[in-house]
Amino acid sequence: MTRDLSITINGEEREFAVAEFRSLLDALRNEIGLTGTKKGCDVGDCGACTVILNGKPVNACLVLAVEADGGAVETIEGLQAAPDKPSPLQESFMVHGGAQCGFCTPGVIMMAKALLDDNPEPSEHDIRFALAGNICRCTGYTKIFDAVRAAADEMRKAPAP
Amino acid sequence: MRRFRYYAPNSLAEASRLLRELGETASLFAGGTDLLVEIREELRTCAHVIDIKKIPDLHELSFDEERGLRVGAQTTAREIEISPVVRTRYPNLASAVAALGSIQVRNRATLVGNICRASPSADTLPPLIADGAVLTIWSEDGERSLPIERFFVGPGRTVLARGEIVAGVTIPPPRPASARIYIKHGRRKAMELATVGVAVSVDRHAGACADVRIALGAVAPTPIRALRAEAALRGNRVTPRLIAEAAEIAMSEATPISNVRASAGYRREMVGVLTRRALEAVTGAPQ
Amino acid sequence: MNIGLSPAAWKRADADLTIVGRSVKRTDTLEKVTGQARYAGDLALPGMLHGKIKRSTIAHALIKRIDASKALALKGVKAVLTHENVPRVLHYGSPHPRSASVTKDQYILDRKVRYWGEGVAAVAAISEEIAEEALALIEVEYEPLPAVFTLEEAMAEGAPQIHDNGLSGNNVLPTVVVTRGDVEKGFAEADLILEGEYHLGRPTPAYMEPNVCVCRWDGNGKLTVWSSTQTAFMVRGALSEVLGVPLNKVRVIVDHMGGGFGAKQDLFQHEFLCALLARNTARPVRMEFSRKETFLGGRSRHPGVVWLKQGFSKSGAITARQARLTLNSGAYGSHGPGVTNVGTAALTSLYRCENVDLVGRCVYTNSPIAGAFRGYGVVQTYYALDLQMDEAAERLGFDPAEFRLMNAVREGDIAPSNHPIVGHGLEDCIRRGMAETDWPRMRKRARQDGVKRRGWGVGCEMHGSSAYPGIKEQGNAVVKMNEDGTVTLLTGTAGLGTGAHTALSQIVAEEIGVPFESVSVVQGDTDVVPWDIGAFASHTTYMGGRAAQIAAAEVKRQVLDHVAPKLGARPEDCVIRDGIILAVGTNRSISLREAVAPAKGMPAAQLIGVGTYSPRKSYSFAAHFVEVEVDTETGEIAVTQVVPVHEIGRVIHPIAAQGQIEGGIQQGIGHTLSEDYQIDLKTGRSLNPSFVDYKMPLAMDMPPIRTIILETAPDPGGPYGAKGVGEDPIIAIGPAIANAVADAIGVRFRHYPITPEQVRAALRDKKSGAE
Repeated sequence: MTRDLSITINGEEREFAVAEFRSLLDALRNEIGLTGTKKGCDVGDCGACTVILNGKPVNACLVLAVEADGGAVETIEGLQAAPDKPSPLQESFMVHGGAQCGFCTPGVIMMAKALLDDNPEPSEHDIRFALAGNICRCTGYTKIFDAVRAAADEMRKAPAP
Repeated sequence: MRRFRYYAPNSLAEASRLLRELGETASLFAGGTDLLVEIREELRTCAHVIDIKKIPDLHELSFDEERGLRVGAQTTAREIEISPVVRTRYPNLASAVAALGSIQVRNRATLVGNICRASPSADTLPPLIADGAVLTIWSEDGERSLPIERFFVGPGRTVLARGEIVAGVTIPPPRPASARIYIKHGRRKAMELATVGVAVSVDRHAGACADVRIALGAVAPTPIRALRAEAALRGNRVTPRLIAEAAEIAMSEATPISNVRASAGYRREMVGVLTRRALEAVTGAPQ
Repeated sequence: MNIGLSPAAWKRADADLTIVGRSVKRTDTLEKVTGQARYAGDLALPGMLHGKIKRSTIAHALIKRIDASKALALKGVKAVLTHENVPRVLHYGSPHPRSASVTKDQYILDRKVRYWGEGVAAVAAISEEIAEEALALIEVEYEPLPAVFTLEEAMAEGAPQIHDNGLSGNNVLPTVVVTRGDVEKGFAEADLILEGEYHLGRPTPAYMEPNVCVCRWDGNGKLTVWSSTQTAFMVRGALSEVLGVPLNKVRVIVDHMGGGFGAKQDLFQHEFLCALLARNTARPVRMEFSRKETFLGGRSRHPGVVWLKQGFSKSGAITARQARLTLNSGAYGSHGPGVTNVGTAALTSLYRCENVDLVGRCVYTNSPIAGAFRGYGVVQTYYALDLQMDEAAERLGFDPAEFRLMNAVREGDIAPSNHPIVGHGLEDCIRRGMAETDWPRMRKRARQDGVKRRGWGVGCEMHGSSAYPGIKEQGNAVVKMNEDGTVTLLTGTAGLGTGAHTALSQIVAEEIGVPFESVSVVQGDTDVVPWDIGAFASHTTYMGGRAAQIAAAEVKRQVLDHVAPKLGARPEDCVIRDGIILAVGTNRSISLREAVAPAKGMPAAQLIGVGTYSPRKSYSFAAHFVEVEVDTETGEIAVTQVVPVHEIGRVIHPIAAQGQIEGGIQQGIGHTLSEDYQIDLKTGRSLNPSFVDYKMPLAMDMPPIRTIILETAPDPGGPYGAKGVGEDPIIAIGPAIANAVADAIGVRFRHYPITPEQVRAALRDKKSGAE
């Protein structure tokens, strides 16, 4: 059975129909066409599908689309400051080599955003702890930690308007 | 079978009725971090998913000195993990929930869900057992209370009758001069299923162990109490030698299996090491 | 071009470089950090169906009966494929052209099953869920055959033959034999002889993007395949050959891909199945592996065993080296021949020895398929070699790093590829690492006897950029200058995620003399870009970069020929700097933009350079210094810090190069301590096909890494002296860890991964031995 849903996605209210057994991840990728959120395992082990649902980072593969009805979802596509302007966090990943193959990157960045929203001055341990559930197989994490740390510094210097 | 019907009842009564009417292929759905995985990996036949998150009054997380900590069926692991009162009064539970998957998972996973999944290796169970937690079980005939250690029957199996729903769990208030700890053993520092989990809660009195409860995870078909090890300690003055003896006894109480994660022998050995370390930590004994 | 310059000229050239050697913002990462990057699985086409593969639940069997009628009857199912209705063409699972690196032993679907999890049927349906339900409705009746999983079983007298048309005794290839000098003489001269068997686990690449492809046929019978592959042209060739379609009717597109680490050089049944399902249904089909399938149907590093015997003189020289490498290929040959050859030949070098006698074998079993994986046989053999070196140093009373320095391969020594080594890379790495870690002091501190004990270890490696001489490789590039002075590079090399396209753009910008931002890259479309062998063998920057440099130099020549007369100068007296053409020694200059601008709407000139480069080989070097902490009660080993020192010639993009090294270390720590893809040795069933039970070190587990890159031995064959770095880091880290464990607890393990249980058992044995 399909359900009619209304979800605010990256600030825009979207209405669409989706099968009730379908995950939020599949709905975002296949029904809405937001493919920035990746499917690395589909069972909550890798974090590639991390989105922010009602203010909290979750694995979109472990949420049913119907559960998000009436709620708000933020994905990697909504993070840019402007269409041609990456956010400071995204910029930092570019500058510090935080992305290699890029498949884990959207999930890592969304988790890092959730961390910095909560904790603008994270310690090394805080960063590692927050990213514990985001698997990266390319970077060895060093450059990811560099990118998050540098973004935090940058954002504290120039807080978002 | 990945297709299923989805229900979001507004009351426990309605959820209970659905469970009874839809039968064996219906499952309750709270966090979904186990259920959806089991459906996708075809470990569970599930044609009906009953979401309990629309039911009012199941989202409690409160503490008072009289009753202790009360946790509702919708309360997430992450809410418990970051709760200041849990961190100060129940550090064992705080570290157990923090060891469960990732923050993303913990924002969905519920404590009650972790209990009802009845995995022998579930991180939250040993500290709850060691602290004498009590479940509130709802059915159309009313509510009943059940000490958590009598809840589990086997891996994935509990005493719940069809139509019964765990509405919450209550953990008694920590007694003065008590201490508690949970130690998890796994190959990684996070995203790990425990190969062994040991929880120890102790009431101290003048250098002696007035009371103690030791709970072991992942070393038997259900989480278990190390009753004989507890008996060896109870009422006695704590010395390194006594701790070593108790740890030795705890090893003999474990009945682990061998699988891809660890061998039975190694699990049993780790029961000894972890029980000793836990006892040292909670009794302040010299290491 | 700066090719073939003397060392002094290198130094002068250094000062002139403005783009090469800088960590410019990678051209591909804006798309990645904004979620705009398109991977094959992101593609959705109108009317697209979803394909799924039914996998065997038995390791070795004949299919007696396969019945798809119930699946076909399920509403929403559009097509089912079994061995009965697909073309039966024997093909290369890893289609490297003109090479003996791979075997021809696979069918799209066969009536024989050779490993647990092999595809036996495929379905296309209107949704993934229906496709999966249909799989369950396909009835397969197996006639079980005796199965063999270990080397011993597969090589035993009378063992079941897994392939009918292979060599006897389940051999994947004829025995590899490499000899130099006289080992008997060498052993006779030895004061110390060490001998040991080193057992190799089964790590897998576990790239983040599961295998996936999308296939569509157009009305003219042309097949377009979007796939996650390192070797687009090889996939095109295989599809053409097996499906009987000419190459101009097959187009393979790879935009971004989510990692491969070597394994995605193979075909994984699904490319063929997806193409056939799309043809049968006349609709596009997407076939995406689950994570579990990515384990089951993927490729691992070759497990196996290395028997190694070496003779040493009291003075610390290696007098003889004898080795027997036996690798477990799993059910198909894949890269078994290449891996066996490279791994065996690698033992001729790293540490000097004039007398070697090496034999390599690779054997079919009913296990998961082993294939190409970063480090390609060298991980296996250098693990054995470097562990035994450590033991020899201890027995002979040398410091382990000093001992390696004494024996390190030198300039002019003959490398495994039969080329002379260029420069002093390995010696430089060892010396620098010793200085950085304060090595002599670290190694001499008192041995601890607490519960947690720390130790330091060193491991070394050298690895070739390019697969020469195993494969005669070729890199190609086309560089076009547009009429506004900007530049477009067409390259066939795949964007694995390493940043290679950025490196190539830097090389082109440097060579022509334009800003980095003026260069854009077109890649990953076999209809558009020049032919390329694929991204592997640490050769992308080395070979593809050199081809791009040659093409860029050609464009520059054309530009100067065209513009010099306008400046009243000869072309050879003009230079291009930052997009400005200057006549040297005059004040005459013109911007590129002006120089090549259209006149009356026509481009000023057609400016296209083509570069083709067939590399020989260069070697990169590394020494890894590692500290571990061992919990003697639980047996847990934690890597607490890593100091990797790499010599990789000219560094094109420092941050990207560091990223390669740090990522390789993550994989190497995993391989050595926790990663092992296991099967049940009775049934062949996979035991841990998930990220929960296949244990890679994650964010909480990774130690601090202090990466040091040296540029002391640039290679004349690479662009600006660049060499490869992709594979190197995964090779040295393993032995460094094992040697650090030996330093910490005095136990020498001879296998990987080293588990906590084994540490505990070894400590118990040691204790009871001491008592």
